[in-house]
Amino acid sequence: MEILKEAKKTCLYDEHIKLGAKMVLFGGWLMPVQYEGIIKEHNATREFAGLFDVSHMGEIYIKGKESLEYLQSIVPQDISNLKEGFAVYCQLPNKEGGLVDDLIVYNVKNFEIDADYLVVINASRINDDILFMWEEAKNFDVQIVNKSDEFSMLALQGPNSKFIVDNLGLKLEVQPKFFTIQKAKFGDIPVLLTRTGYTGEDGFEIIFENKYAIEIWNKILSYKSKFNVVPVGLGARDTLRLEAGLPLYGHELNENMTPVESSLGFFIPNDKKENYNGKSLILAQKLGQKPLRRKLFSFIMEDRQIARNGCDVFVDGVKVGYVTSGAPSPTLGRNIGFCVIEFANLSSSLVTRLNNPQESLGMIIQVMVRNKLYDAKLTKKPFIKKNYER
Amino acid sequence: MNIPEGILCSKTHEWVLEEGNQVLIGLTDWAVEQLGDVVFVEFPEVGSNFSKDEVFATIESVKAASEIYMPVAGEVVEINEQLINSPELINEDAYSAWLVKVKPSNYQEDIEGLMEYDDYKDEVQ
Repeated sequence: MEILKEAKKTCLYDEHIKLGAKMVLFGGWLMPVQYEGIIKEHNATREFAGLFDVSHMGEIYIKGKESLEYLQSIVPQDISNLKEGFAVYCQLPNKEGGLVDDLIVYNVKNFEIDADYLVVINASRINDDILFMWEEAKNFDVQIVNKSDEFSMLALQGPNSKFIVDNLGLKLEVQPKFFTIQKAKFGDIPVLLTRTGYTGEDGFEIIFENKYAIEIWNKILSYKSKFNVVPVGLGARDTLRLEAGLPLYGHELNENMTPVESSLGFFIPNDKKENYNGKSLILAQKLGQKPLRRKLFSFIMEDRQIARNGCDVFVDGVKVGYVTSGAPSPTLGRNIGFCVIEFANLSSSLVTRLNNPQESLGMIIQVMVRNKLYDAKLTKKPFIKKNYER
Repeated sequence: MNIPEGILCSKTHEWVLEEGNQVLIGLTDWAVEQLGDVVFVEFPEVGSNFSKDEVFATIESVKAASEIYMPVAGEVVEINEQLINSPELINEDAYSAWLVKVKPSNYQEDIEGLMEYDDYKDEVQ
């Protein structure tokens, strides 16, 4: 029980217990894994709306004369294109191009808060990210401030989210478009409202000071009968993001894989002028000038077995990689997952096939589950159609 | 949910119920509650023999796979085929959704370490 004493709790811990949540340790935090059941919560988010306590996630303020130049030097994305009130999905590569984390950068200039940019990072990576970002900040006129302990964050996801936000009386200054952020007021409470999420559904994230967490959480849940919103735990958060083809740090992303190897090449601009950590490898891989050492693939099981994190992956009877995430997809009624295939010991013809989507999609691989091999088919991500409102 | 009279439970959360000279084996309601939504049961082959405490099946919930141990040694004579296409019946009623029917080989000795339901409940709570 020692570990439970040390685990961090969000401000909503007591609310989760009242709602009958099962709690688990995740990234050092005691978090709800489910309330009424993962499948129920998953389906409610796809059909109506789900409310997630994501207060464990980290918030970092970046401020200073060179905040733009600093960000340009640490992410592959071109932040000079990021207008005030907009957000961009980014990665944080190390010098070798592997990933320290993935994150969302929000331009919050002129928001009358003490930041030019807000960066939202993974809970399990807060300490590593902060150390890395401080180290990288040495040559810039910039302040990096960890605000993670001051803020709570909720994610409201699903097609009914927008009706709930309309009903909250937030006095919005502008239409909250996809991947934007704005200041808003919930009564007298200042909040940041973003149209982002981790489910593949239209939805919002709301960031505010810790002391308001219970009031805002319960206000949103009060729309249960009107808009069918339910609290959703980490269990369904995982199946939702998996169906949407979204990677999770520590599984699909790590220090040994570049964003291109993690199948995020789409997010890497070809024409960003500024240098950034790992650029020579990342960009060369994106442009096909340097080979991938390994690659992330999506798969659907042909059988009813579930290939989970850590299961070995085989092609033609030879072990070639491992599963990074796997679960039943409640939406598809099939078992899905991500796997990494290592290219180092493969024949060049197999690597060529795997690198060519027209040949690799539909390819049958085998996954070992409890010492038996089962067929799986490489497929496109996302596994479902995303329902973002743009 | 109806707790059948006379069931015996193991420390690893299986239940056993005598039915003539055979026994039904399933997973306790407490264990099912911990697992959450059951999505797949990997059954043993009918006719296979297992010793006491050997893994004979795996139950997959959305979140994790859990191995199920034989509370009494014997031969599997039937599996609950309803659960192949409707594994969620386990969540609905852990005691009508038996997993396997077994012809025990050493019943009286094997049940010595098992608990009556009330004692089991006290132990897990």
